[in-house]
Amino acid sequence: MSVLSFPVQVGWATFRRTWRVTRRAYPWSYFIGTLMLGVFTVGLAHLGLQAIGGGQVAAGFTAATGSADYLGYITVGAAAFMFTTHGVLWVGKALIEEQRAGTLGALLLAPARRLPYLLGFAGFAFTAIALEVAVLLGCALALGARPAAMGASQAALAVLTLGVAVFGMSVVLGGVMITAGEAHITQNTVFFAIALLSGFTFPRQDLPVVLQWLGELVPTTAAMDVIRGVFTTGAGVPPGRAAVAVLLGLAYTAAGLAYLPRAERHSMERNH
Amino acid sequence: MITLRPHEKLLYRATPRRAAAGRRTRRPAGQALRHAGRVFAAEALKQHRRSFGSKLVVFSMLIWPVMQLAATYYTVRPLAATPGIAERWPLAADPGLLLAFLATGTLGFTFFFSLVQSAWHFSFERVTGTLELLFLSPADRLVIVVANGFGALVQNAWLFTCFMIAAFTVLDVVHVAHPAMYAVVFLALLVPAIAWGAFLNSVLIFSRDSAFLYTLLDDPMWFAAGVRLPLFALPGWIRAAGSVLPLTGSLVVVRGALLSGQTAGELAPELAALAGLSALLFAAAVLALRLGEANAQRTGRLRLF
Repeated sequence: MSVLSFPVQVGWATFRRTWRVTRRAYPWSYFIGTLMLGVFTVGLAHLGLQAIGGGQVAAGFTAATGSADYLGYITVGAAAFMFTTHGVLWVGKALIEEQRAGTLGALLLAPARRLPYLLGFAGFAFTAIALEVAVLLGCALALGARPAAMGASQAALAVLTLGVAVFGMSVVLGGVMITAGEAHITQNTVFFAIALLSGFTFPRQDLPVVLQWLGELVPTTAAMDVIRGVFTTGAGVPPGRAAVAVLLGLAYTAAGLAYLPRAERHSMERNH
Repeated sequence: MITLRPHEKLLYRATPRRAAAGRRTRRPAGQALRHAGRVFAAEALKQHRRSFGSKLVVFSMLIWPVMQLAATYYTVRPLAATPGIAERWPLAADPGLLLAFLATGTLGFTFFFSLVQSAWHFSFERVTGTLELLFLSPADRLVIVVANGFGALVQNAWLFTCFMIAAFTVLDVVHVAHPAMYAVVFLALLVPAIAWGAFLNSVLIFSRDSAFLYTLLDDPMWFAAGVRLPLFALPGWIRAAGSVLPLTGSLVVVRGALLSGQTAGELAPELAALAGLSALLFAAAVLALRLGEANAQRTGRLRLF
């Protein structure tokens, strides 16, 4: 067995296990719950655009976003938000779910490293969300949203950037969750905070400057600029923001991986 | 937890009528009131001890609603800052009033959603086995479900309510027709919310799965009740679905009184509808408790989950 193949096996096994568990006992309420937030956000935008905006949007919005398509803007944001929450709920909660199931101790004894294990979860989360995103985009297209035309490689690059950002955040959150011994408050606080700071449903330029700077601390903010460049304005991947998003995502991943052993030790000591 | 042996179970099942008859023995009015007061206080104290274990509750009580309100405001504002808004929706022409409109929506949603959460927590009594004990006790069932909802409401909504009062004072957007309208607003939020809580709690006697409450009454509730959009923006069928939610009527009264300066006379049709809906929810709660208890006595399922 070569040096490389063992981590790949760990990641692949985790990926397959999670898919198998989900296929056999699929939490449909989970699917509906994730989808509903996206669908109602797009529905709100559609109805608001007709009744409040009279079919148009403020000039300031067009200037800030580079697009006059309010519905398309919200749709892209809602889909990206679903992608982000899904990633955090699977990758970030992987370890605390092991703890709740009583298998965290066994995982610590196993020779598997954390990175391939969590990458296996990320692989699952980002493939499983495809169905929800497809349904949401279908609804939005039916309502008249028209995302910007873009090349497949640009689109893949943008989604990958967001994936790296979400993965980095999730690794850190995984450590925080097992240290705190709870997930509910942590995950929801993060979801509400990034919904406000990262520019999912409105241009960040509208926020007070302090909050704009605070947004730069989370990798999803720069990643959303990349998503906007490709799917909203159609200008393509902005190289500077993509570099920020990827570097910040990798920094979060490294910090999370460095912190995890301590978090795991702390959690085992507290529970025994 | 009380465990009945097989022959006792048979006995218990064979005499539901007597058990029910014993419960319904009429107490003199003063005694009944004292009894209700004690049950109420005990249930509210239990709620307090249950939910105030950690300082982290401040997140769900204040920080989440404030962040959500800010995000909603920034999302809707590009639609309100368009030419011709004064004809389409006069209120939204003033950014302060638009924020106040969304803030009242968030406040109402906090009230009603805290009862969804309390009903979800109430279903844990089934898991821990204490739901059956509650029904074996002589405590009045309706008082329990009402007190449970009231306790949750006061615990979860007080902080955000105080914050909102301070924010409205700073924004200077509230202009009521008469100071007594504050009392009308308070009652229009409180009474339907408690009726809603009693109804949700009592319906859960029938169901072993309560997770559906969260799915069904989170996103669809804010959407259909006009929390983030004025009702005129919603199509007729969504408005019809929303009219069965007491939150919809509560918000009409709260916004009418606080933001449009309407009098109780002008809001009379909405207030009457809200009173009717609340009475209906209370009646449905009483009925659900009766039927649910009779059903549980027949099937012995109150401990299963």
